[in-house]
Amino acid sequence: MSCKYIQKRIDEADKPDLLPFDVSEHIGVCVDCQRFATERTALRALVAAGSRVTAPMNFDAVLKARLAEVKTRRSFWWLGSPALLRLGAATAGVVVAVFVVQFTGLFSNKVETPERSLLSEAAPRPVPGPFVNPPAPPPLITTAKTQPDHGNSRPSRLRRSGIPVESALPASFMTAEDGGVVLLRGRNGDMDVQMPTVSVGAQPLLYVTAGQRTTRTVGTSF
Amino acid sequence: MAAVTHQAQAIEVGGSRAVEAASDHELLAAIRDGDEVAFQEIVRRYRNPITNFVYRMLDDYDRSVELAQETFIRVYTSASRYQANYSFSTYIYRIATNLAISELRRRKRRKTVSLFSPFTNDDGEAIEIDPPDLNLLQDETLIQDERRRAVARAITSLPQKYRAAIVLRDVEGLSYDQIAETLRLSEGTVKSRINRARNLLKEKLSAYI
Repeated sequence: MSCKYIQKRIDEADKPDLLPFDVSEHIGVCVDCQRFATERTALRALVAAGSRVTAPMNFDAVLKARLAEVKTRRSFWWLGSPALLRLGAATAGVVVAVFVVQFTGLFSNKVETPERSLLSEAAPRPVPGPFVNPPAPPPLITTAKTQPDHGNSRPSRLRRSGIPVESALPASFMTAEDGGVVLLRGRNGDMDVQMPTVSVGAQPLLYVTAGQRTTRTVGTSF
Repeated sequence: MAAVTHQAQAIEVGGSRAVEAASDHELLAAIRDGDEVAFQEIVRRYRNPITNFVYRMLDDYDRSVELAQETFIRVYTSASRYQANYSFSTYIYRIATNLAISELRRRKRRKTVSLFSPFTNDDGEAIEIDPPDLNLLQDETLIQDERRRAVARAITSLPQKYRAAIVLRDVEGLSYDQIAETLRLSEGTVKSRINRARNLLKEKLSAYI
């Protein structure tokens, strides 16, 4: 047996002081291997002799607290799940989109034309049979540029293409920029009165004289 | 697996004495079923060895305690995945070793400098500063304390791959096959690493041998 093999077996021995017989026999006659065995025994004793540290007194208590924390975190694991995060992000996106659409609609400067507004409002409404004109006529209620219908002999608010005026006029029809036409009912029949444009922040006062079919602004109220 | 579950039920019936007599595998089966007493018994059995092992790896007691606790938390949380193919001690030492190695790597990235070896030579190896103590020796306790510190410094100065092997072998007393399973290495590699670690330690601790 070579010294290298013996030293390998000394090094791998479970207990340095309990060597196999053939190794011990070689050590008895080989000075180098004997010195190697002595050094290894001393080294292993030195490394093992270092005082062993022990866990502190509060080890179990701290561990219990940390474990409870981990359990709590694990019970809410679904909060961090990717699927839930994706769903939450999609929902938030939809909410933001709806909000943006409504917000921009509220403060939009785009003016809806009365014709378009009237058509869009009137088209889907179910209309009673006698008042229906098969081809959809152009709207009779128009902006101030439209000439009033003076020759109408039937003083009915339902005379205009069979659509009730109240229902045909949406809230957005009369805008401040457009002005409009107001139907006044009198003893001698109806009269369409052309309304001037209402300026923002100031309300024009109308003066309608008998027989006159136009108005004039006589003042401004705030 | 059914037998292990049956043993876990027997632990619950038997009470604390049965828990103390139960094997590690039986305790793990009981932990899997939510038995807190079984977990406490596992902690009682391994808290000191694991703390000591991590301390020998890091030479930092406070951090060692934290990592030992983290080891037990991982044992608890992964009890359902534990497979009784090999000994529980191997399993828990593997967890502790991985945590300690992660900590060492983290420290290496932080470039911590030991007060005892702030300088390196051309090869990048730390140069130990060992100023001579000219005072008279006081008593054997101080000598032992100094020897212990020297051993701790020598171990922590070892390369990481040698350190875990030598601590598991010469400090914790694990067998070669247990170390091989713990470090997931071949037994030959473990023997080689331990041999090299001892040769390095012999150079560093020649004054004490």
